[in-house]
Amino acid sequence: MKHRMYALLIGLSLSISSQAAETKRAVVVYDDKATEVKASLAPSNKPEDLWISLADLKASTGFENKPQGVCRAELCFPLPKKRRAEFLKPEGKTSWFNLTEFARLVKQPVARDAELSTWYFGLRSEVQNTFTANFMAPEFTLPDKDGKMHSLKDFRGKKVLIVTWASW
Amino acid sequence: MKNQNFEIISVAEDTGGVKDAGKWIEAGKVEYTTLIDKEHLITKLYNMVNVPTAVWINEKGRIVRPNEVGYSSNAGINITKVDTTNYINGLYDWVKLGEKSIYAMSETELRERLTPQNPEWAMAAAEFSLAQYFHLGGNPQAAIPHYKEAQRLNPENWNFKRQAWMLTSADKEYGTSFTKEVQKLNGKPYYVPLKLPEVKK
Repeated sequence: MKHRMYALLIGLSLSISSQAAETKRAVVVYDDKATEVKASLAPSNKPEDLWISLADLKASTGFENKPQGVCRAELCFPLPKKRRAEFLKPEGKTSWFNLTEFARLVKQPVARDAELSTWYFGLRSEVQNTFTANFMAPEFTLPDKDGKMHSLKDFRGKKVLIVTWASW
Repeated sequence: MKNQNFEIISVAEDTGGVKDAGKWIEAGKVEYTTLIDKEHLITKLYNMVNVPTAVWINEKGRIVRPNEVGYSSNAGINITKVDTTNYINGLYDWVKLGEKSIYAMSETELRERLTPQNPEWAMAAAEFSLAQYFHLGGNPQAAIPHYKEAQRLNPENWNFKRQAWMLTSADKEYGTSFTKEVQKLNGKPYYVPLKLPEVKK
């Protein structure tokens, strides 16, 4: 994992696009998973916006553009009809999708490193804030020190005390 | 407490590794699970700002008491200024009595304590995560400006500060240190004081 990310970073530093002049490589980190994508550099695009192909959208985030909205499994976010052009832009055979505008729509924080062309997409509002309304403890899956994964939901039927610690 | 269907999940919010939270075992012979959270996911999901932070969750996965300072003993009380006696008693009480325990928060209390995260804090978490991505990917220098941005956007989050300072020379890269920052508090408590119901004897 570590090596893969490192390789990606090296790739990036060498990555002033050698193919079409109108795209450049970028890294999308979504759900803490890094994916290398091609970003559109159309002159009308703002530098803080990230336009990627629908294929890259699926590869990096799992979301797909469907008639009912931008969806992943049961999760669907309809695009506002009057603002479709802000999200989707056809160019030849490619349909570009504005992933940063989508993040604004679903209230998802985005951190960007311009120099390394890397975009981190944080927790969407519905993931981050639902528990403050329904009091259900946010679900997570993490490894123990032997690498075995444990989920909070495995503990249903028991009272649980979560305690965080750190060595720092 | 083992027989009462109670378990402890200790989570190390640690980019580097894990240190066991073994002292909690003293609170009773309980089953406990130690997890490693390199990405500080729990900090982000639960809006935590410090360690140790504890959350009580009932059999249905519902929060009973949200984020509170979670020391298991008073061993460090001179430094922490946190008296945990009542908190530990409360924990025993809740394990025994469940929702009838006076320590189980009412919906009104929960509503007061659990507020949606403001956008700046959400951005701080994203900046922190981008920094983590660079640091873990072998580019610690690229991480520093994003750690700094996270600290600027959410100055109340000690996890974001202390983790970043520990990963490099805090004085050189951040012009500060944990000791200096604690001195700046000037007597203000480092932890949010515990607010618990009076013990009924």
